[in-house]
Amino acid sequence: MAKPTVASDWLAGCAGCHMSFLDIDERIAQLIELVDLRATPITDLKHPDKEGVTVGILEGGINNTYNEEVAKQMRERSQILVALGDCAVFGGVPAMRNFFTLEESLSRAYVETPSTDESGKIPSSPELAVMTRVRAVHEVVPVDVFIPGCPPDADIIFFALTELAQGRIPKLEHTNLMWN
Amino acid sequence: MINLTIDGKSIEVKEGTTVLNAARQAGIEIPTLCDHPQLTPYGGCRLCLVEVEGARTLQPSCTMPVSNNMVVKTDTEKIREARKFVLTMIFSERNHFCPYCQVSGGDCELQNSAYDEGMTHWPIQPNWKPYPVDASHPFIVLEHNRCILCRRCVRACGELVGNFTLGFEERGADSTLVADLGLPLGESSCIGCGTCVQVCPTGSLIDRWSAYQGKETEVDVTKTICLGCSVGCSVDVLTRDNRLVRIEGDWEGKINQGVLCEVGRFFPFDEKRDRVLTPLVRKDGNLKAATWDDAISAAADLAKSGKVAAVASTRLSMEALQAFKEVCESLGVASVASTEEGFATQAAEAYAKKSSKPFESKLEVIKDSDCYLVLGEDITKDHQVVSFFVKRAIPAGTPVIQVASEPSGLDNFANFSFLVEEGKSVDFVNELKDLLRANTSNYEASAKKFGVSADLLKDAVQAMAGSAKLGVIFGSRSDAAGSNLLEAAASLAAEAKGKLVTTKGNINSLGAVQLGVNNPIDIKDAEVVLLALGDEELTQQFMKKFDKAKNLVVLSSYVSPLTVNAAVVLPVSNWLEQGGHFVNFDGHVLEAKAALVADDGVFTNVDAFTQFAAKLDQTISANWKDALKSSSVVEITM
Repeated sequence: MAKPTVASDWLAGCAGCHMSFLDIDERIAQLIELVDLRATPITDLKHPDKEGVTVGILEGGINNTYNEEVAKQMRERSQILVALGDCAVFGGVPAMRNFFTLEESLSRAYVETPSTDESGKIPSSPELAVMTRVRAVHEVVPVDVFIPGCPPDADIIFFALTELAQGRIPKLEHTNLMWN
Repeated sequence: MINLTIDGKSIEVKEGTTVLNAARQAGIEIPTLCDHPQLTPYGGCRLCLVEVEGARTLQPSCTMPVSNNMVVKTDTEKIREARKFVLTMIFSERNHFCPYCQVSGGDCELQNSAYDEGMTHWPIQPNWKPYPVDASHPFIVLEHNRCILCRRCVRACGELVGNFTLGFEERGADSTLVADLGLPLGESSCIGCGTCVQVCPTGSLIDRWSAYQGKETEVDVTKTICLGCSVGCSVDVLTRDNRLVRIEGDWEGKINQGVLCEVGRFFPFDEKRDRVLTPLVRKDGNLKAATWDDAISAAADLAKSGKVAAVASTRLSMEALQAFKEVCESLGVASVASTEEGFATQAAEAYAKKSSKPFESKLEVIKDSDCYLVLGEDITKDHQVVSFFVKRAIPAGTPVIQVASEPSGLDNFANFSFLVEEGKSVDFVNELKDLLRANTSNYEASAKKFGVSADLLKDAVQAMAGSAKLGVIFGSRSDAAGSNLLEAAASLAAEAKGKLVTTKGNINSLGAVQLGVNNPIDIKDAEVVLLALGDEELTQQFMKKFDKAKNLVVLSSYVSPLTVNAAVVLPVSNWLEQGGHFVNFDGHVLEAKAALVADDGVFTNVDAFTQFAAKLDQTISANWKDALKSSSVVEITM
């Protein structure tokens, strides 16, 4: 039987969950024996295979139309979709901007910051994705497995991935369940 | 007794028990949030829902009383679904950012409940409506975004403290915790006791100092007592890496049953005085750092050189005071004085001399009163926790009568508050007694004499007449005529067959009286003055007494004008760094334990006095218990 395939991508997050994934250190060798690691933001292949993957992992919340596209593609191409980390699960730190309007957030970022001179303006180009309210992944596409944590502990990520690699849905409880 | 079945287990409990408590008695755990063992059941959060056979819907176990043959189930699929739904709704109501909340990861009861239900996410997201943060209070931060509207704080403020500052405005999703009628907490009637912080299940009410300093699993807990005043409240001192993290009231506490005031909970964090960290000896006019041995030798040499006067803090333990007394005796000191000069106890002492047996009652007796008479001090400032017990009784209909000569914090709470000129207070209390005895209906003359309302006077006297258990609380701040006032109060208490207690001053005022070291200061002819100040915060008035004193030998935890002017300064540990026994205001002998380790070179008071004695070729007997056997104002209980 072919090894399960795994793809991942990051959205409105800080890449910290992927860093925490790398913190499984040498255990990545054990993991590679169990799964075929496909597209990830830190490897050459950037999109999940058209033929689909067994497990798709998304880090970060969804804060623009581009993120929506990525999430939808990942959902379409994975049998099991995993929301990794507090941003993907709850919205996380980026979701704090939901307390403000998009105009206020953009103005704060591009015009009002103390380091911005008078030439500062809000970028506008038809090629740019359109910003939205920040949402958890499950507000946009159905999610099968939630791994909260900011970031999730490397041990928890390793536990979840090895469970998935062996065809089980990981059950996070007790010491494996941490939102912080 | 009521018989019922919970999860197939037959249980017998007292009538009136709630299903939740019945389950607890049977060792069956039901998750709760708004419930708190010290507060009346509220039924607000719905996490404790259970299935009751025959009931149409799930029932909140915390408010449902048991009934005979009731069949309860606490762990079915239906209940688990309901709990998850309840938590889902709570999480969607406000804005919970667990990754950077200081109670996250063990200290948050809301998060723990979600973990217990295995919730990996929120099925319903919040609606991102921002709520304000009220940081106007010097000790407490109110974070509305984390509030779950459980009203534990509101109940604690009313039921335990009797202050009724906290309440709710609006309804449904707009419900908001408010102080008074919507004032910022820092400008409200809040007295900063922090009981609300202690009961808050989330990070909604937090104190500034302990935030992010360590979770409950990371701290060490020392059970000790607060030395802030004579009450002696039991506290849990939370420390981490020899650093003070938080102070909480001990719910099991003999005296306070969990409540604390700002003095015990927050003041130790707001300590602004500098510590004395090295022994200092004056040489050629300047204070120079010295070794302990050199400093203590210098102190002993000084003490042997001329007439010695001695003053001890009434915050020192029995062990320390006994040791100090023995040092002073060997130096020929006739009378060891105290920092409070017996002021807070002299009236009680004088009265006790007249009656052969203790005339004061224990707090547990006073707490059971059905009418209170408070006089001689503002208990809401000087002995706050005693005022909580008085204030919390008011809503149940216990009348509180106050006789004061200046406005007091109790004015807003007491049913009858009489503002009487200081010189007339003895007469007024005697008048109350006469009115009580005379059973008259004519109050006009008496009222006119003291400039008080006749109706108020009548109602107050009738309240006392109608009470079976009058409790008289006599303050420590009576004027020079304090003895007369106490005598009047005691005879009024006797007339009404009531009980009396005097609040005294510092934690060991009564202990100092028993040891005979709570005397007035007299340094007139003294050539050397020994000041065992401990960690007491000194008043200007006190320090002024030593302006002209020669050769001060000061044992102190903190720098003060006295240490600056001293000939020898010896650093000693503060209350958190040493253990010992104390006799509180109602005669309980309480033990304090060290929660922190003092810096190198800082000695406990007992060690310092022992070393001092050694330099005088004396040994310390450490026999402080004998002093407690002699008759006192109140029965002394170990």
